[in-house]
Amino acid sequence: MTGPGVWNRWGGFAFVAPFLLLYSFLLIYPLINGIILSFHNADLFGGQRFIGLGNYRRLLGDPIFHQSIFNTFKLAFIIVPILTAISLALALALNRPGRTPAVFRGLFFSSSVLSVTIVTLIWRFILTPDAGLMAELLEAVGADPIPWLSHPDLTIPALAITTIWWSVGLPMMLFLAGLQQIPEDMYEAAALDRAGKWTTFRKITLPSLKRTTVLVVMLQTAAQLQIFGQAQLLTAGGPSGASRPIVLYIYEVSFGRWELGYATALAEMLFLLIIAVTLIQYWTGARGQER
Amino acid sequence: MAASPSRRSMSKGAWIGLTLGAILMAAPLVWTLLLSIKANGELMRDSGTAFSPPYTLENYAAILQGNMVFRWLINSVIVSLGTTLGVLALCSLAGYGFARLDFPFRKTLFVFVLLGLAIPEQAVILPQHRLFADLGLHNSYPGLILPGLAGPFGVFFMTQYFRAIPRDLDEAAMLDGASRFTTFWKVLLPLTAPAQATLGVFTFLGTWNSYWWPLISATRGDMFTLTVGLASSQMNYAQTSGLGFLMAQAVFASIPIFIVYLIFQKQIVGAMAGAAVK
Amino acid sequence: MSSKKGVPLASLELENIRKAYGDTLVLDDVSLTMEAREFIAFLGPSGSGKSTLLRIIAGLETLDAGEVRLEGRRIDQVPPGDRGVAMVFQHYALYPHMSVFDNMAFGLRNAKVPEDEIRTRIEDAARVLEISDHLQKKPAQMSGGQRQRVAIGRAIVKHPKIFLLDEPLSNLDAALRMRTRVELAQLRQKVDAAVIMVTHDQAEAMTLADRIVVMNDKKIQQVGPPMEIYARPANTFVARFVGSPAMTLAPATLVADAPGEHATVRIGDGSVVETQVPRAGLPETGLELGLRPENVRVLHVNEGATTSATVELVERLGERTLIYGRLSDGQPITAEDEGFSRVRIGDTVPLKVNGAAGHIFGPDGRGHHAPSHGGASA
Repeated sequence: MTGPGVWNRWGGFAFVAPFLLLYSFLLIYPLINGIILSFHNADLFGGQRFIGLGNYRRLLGDPIFHQSIFNTFKLAFIIVPILTAISLALALALNRPGRTPAVFRGLFFSSSVLSVTIVTLIWRFILTPDAGLMAELLEAVGADPIPWLSHPDLTIPALAITTIWWSVGLPMMLFLAGLQQIPEDMYEAAALDRAGKWTTFRKITLPSLKRTTVLVVMLQTAAQLQIFGQAQLLTAGGPSGASRPIVLYIYEVSFGRWELGYATALAEMLFLLIIAVTLIQYWTGARGQER
Repeated sequence: MAASPSRRSMSKGAWIGLTLGAILMAAPLVWTLLLSIKANGELMRDSGTAFSPPYTLENYAAILQGNMVFRWLINSVIVSLGTTLGVLALCSLAGYGFARLDFPFRKTLFVFVLLGLAIPEQAVILPQHRLFADLGLHNSYPGLILPGLAGPFGVFFMTQYFRAIPRDLDEAAMLDGASRFTTFWKVLLPLTAPAQATLGVFTFLGTWNSYWWPLISATRGDMFTLTVGLASSQMNYAQTSGLGFLMAQAVFASIPIFIVYLIFQKQIVGAMAGAAVK
Repeated sequence: MSSKKGVPLASLELENIRKAYGDTLVLDDVSLTMEAREFIAFLGPSGSGKSTLLRIIAGLETLDAGEVRLEGRRIDQVPPGDRGVAMVFQHYALYPHMSVFDNMAFGLRNAKVPEDEIRTRIEDAARVLEISDHLQKKPAQMSGGQRQRVAIGRAIVKHPKIFLLDEPLSNLDAALRMRTRVELAQLRQKVDAAVIMVTHDQAEAMTLADRIVVMNDKKIQQVGPPMEIYARPANTFVARFVGSPAMTLAPATLVADAPGEHATVRIGDGSVVETQVPRAGLPETGLELGLRPENVRVLHVNEGATTSATVELVERLGERTLIYGRLSDGQPITAEDEGFSRVRIGDTVPLKVNGAAGHIFGPDGRGHHAPSHGGASA
C-alpha cells in the first residue's frame, strides 16, 4: 500500500462515507427491515404484529402465489431461450464491418432504450383486437383478429413477444462484444486446416462464446423472473391471473390490499429464488467451461 | 478482417432473415409514428386509416399547447439528471477511496458493498416505501432521486476504473505536494472521464425508464415522471383524448432518450464490450 | 564512511533503516551518507531493496525503523511534497490530461509559488531541456525521449535539494538511451543538487555516478567510486554482479610452500596462479580465485600458457572476442581474445592467466585484493 504514514489513516473515510451512509440507510436497512417485516402482519403505513412464519406458511398454501410463480417461470422459459437464440443469430449476422450492419445494429438496439410504458403503449396498439396493427393486417387478408390480450392461452405469449422485441438489443450487443474477442488468427488457423464454415462455427465460434452465453442467460433469467411493467400495463395479469407474474402479485398485495407483511414475505421468496437460480446457472456454466 | 469465414459477405438466406427481422423490429415503431400523425376522430372510426393520408401534426400541437406531458418531461429530466450527477459524485469519491486509500476495514467495507449487487429491487422496495413515507418524502424530487443513489454498481465500476490507473500518477502528485483531495480532483478524476460517461449514460437511461419506484412514490399527477404519466394515460386512455394523441405522447416522450442514445452510443457499446470480457 | 573529512554539510543521511512488508524483510539496517551535490547510483538486481530505499527517501513508503535526514533536517515523517526532493519516475508518470506546462507547474502551484515565477522557472528548464516549443502539448503527443525530458523538467523546476531517478533510462530504446545518458551527465553539472539514481544497469551506474551503492538481499553490499567497485569488489556478489561478462570464480587452495608474501593458489585443474594478494590474513581453506575475462587471454602458441580450456561458446563483439569454456576439471572460465579470433566451439585453447590481477575470496565471500598502491584502482 502506498499509504504515506504521514496521512491520517481515517481520512479515507471521508471519501467512502457519503455513499456508505446512503447505501446502509436506503438499501441495507430496508433489506433487513423487509426480512423482519415478512415475519409480521403489517400494513403499508405503520401498524405491525409479529406472527413468526405465518406469512410463509400462508404463501405455501396460496393458490395465487402458486399460479404467479408458475406464470413467472413459464415466461422466463419462453423468453430466455428465444431471446438468446435470436440475439446470437443477429450478432453473428451483424458482426462485420460496414455501414449497413451498423445501421441494423442500431435498429435492433433502439427498442432497448425505451421505457416499459412506451413499449407497452406501442404493443397494446399492435396486439389489441379492436384497433391494433395485427388486427388491421389480419382484417386486410380477411382473417379474424386474435384476442392476444384477453384469451387465457394467449396473454403469456403476448407478453413474451413484447418482451423479446424490447430486450433483444442488450444480449445482441453482448454477443457482438464476445465475437470481437475471438482472435482472428483462430479463424486463419481453421482456414489453413481446411475447416468448413459449419465446422468453424461449431468448433471455434460457439465454444468461444460460452462465457458470453452464460452471462446472457444469467442476466436475462434474473431480469425475466422480475418481469412486472409489461404484465401490469398490457394484461393487468389477466384474464383471471393467467398472466400474473410474481412481482405483479407482490404489487397487488402491497398496494391493492395493503398487506405489507405478506408482500415482503412474497418478495423474500422471490429473492431466494433468484439467488438460487443464478447460482445454479453459474455453477453449471462454470462446470461446462472446464470441459 | 474479411478473411474469416464468419465475416465473409452474408449468404442470401441470412440477408432475407435479417431483413424480415428488421421489418418486425421497425414495424411497431413505424405504426406508432403513423398513429401519432392521424386525427383522433378518424382513428376512432378505423385505425386502419393510419396507412393512408391525410396526416396531421395536431396531436403534437396539442402537446405543445400545454399538457401534463410537459410537466412529466421536466420531472423526468430533473430526476434523471439529479440521480446521474449524484451517482457520479458519490461513486467517484467512493471508488477513489476504495481503490487508492488505506483506511481501517477498507476490504471488509468493499465486500459489504459488493454484496449489495445481489439485492433485487423488489426485496427492498416495500420497506423503502414505508421508510420514505415515514420521512415524508413521497411525491418529492428527493424521494424520487435518493433510492437511485444507493445502488452499489457504480461504486464497483468506478473502483475498478480507478484501480486501472497507474499508481505512479498518485505518487507523482504526492511528491508534487498535492493533498489527497487535490490528487483526486485534479489528477485522477479527469482521467476517469470515459468511465464517468459510461456510468452516467447508464444511470440516466435507467432512471429515465425506471417504473416501479416512481409508480409507488409519485402518486400525485404533477409529480409523475414520464414513465409513470404515460402509464396512467394508457390505463385511462378510453377517457382521454384519443389514440393519436396518446401515440404522439409516446413519441414525444421517447425523443429525449433517443437523443441521449445517439450521442452516447459509443459509451453504451463500449460498456457492453467491457461486460462481455469480464 | 568518507563523511568525516570535514565536508560542510552532508546532503542525505540514512541511518539504520529497516523496512518489512508483513513478515518479509526488504531492508535490513541500511545506513548511508551522501555528500553535497553527489551523484549516487543504487545498483542491484530486482528485489534487492534499492527501489524501496529510494521510495523511503521520497516519502512514498514508510520506514519501520531508522531515520532519514536531508541537510541535517529529519524528513522521514514529513509528507513527500514538503521534503525538498523531486523524483523522475520510471514510466515518467506525467499527468496525461495536462499540458507540458501544467505538468511542470502542478507542484509549484500546490506550493503556492507565484504564477510569474512559475513561468520563469518553467521557461528556464524548458530551454535547458530543449522542449520550449512543446510546452502546450499533451504528453501523448510527444515521443518517449521528449516525455523523459518533461519528467526531468518537472523535477528541475522544483529546485529540489535532491533528485531521485527511478530507472530513468530503462524505457528508452538503445540509441536514445546512450544519448540521454550523456545528457543526464551534462544536466547534472547544471543543477545544484544531489542525485540518487536507481538502476539495474551497471554501465549506467559506472558512467554517471560519483559513487555506486551495490545492493543485494536487503543490504548494502559495497559503497564506492565506480572503479573501486570494479577493481576491489567487497565480496563475491559484487564481483560477479559488476563487470560484464561476470568474473570467473574458481575454487582454489593455497600453495603452502610458495615463496614471497603474496598468495599463490592452485585451482581445480592443477594449474598454479601467483596473485598479488597479501598472504597474511587470508583464511586457510574455502578460497575462491576471481579472474576478470580481460585477465585471461587466449594464446595462439602453447608457449607461456598457464592452463587450457575447451571452448563452449564464442561471442564476437568486434573489437574483441569472448571465449566461454571449461578447464579440464569442468570449471567454467571466461577468456578474451582479439577481434578476429580463429577460435571455434570445441577447440581446446591455451590460456594465459594474469595472476597479478587476480582476486581471492574467503569462505565468507569477502574479497581480498592486491594493495591499491597506484595502478590497482585505475
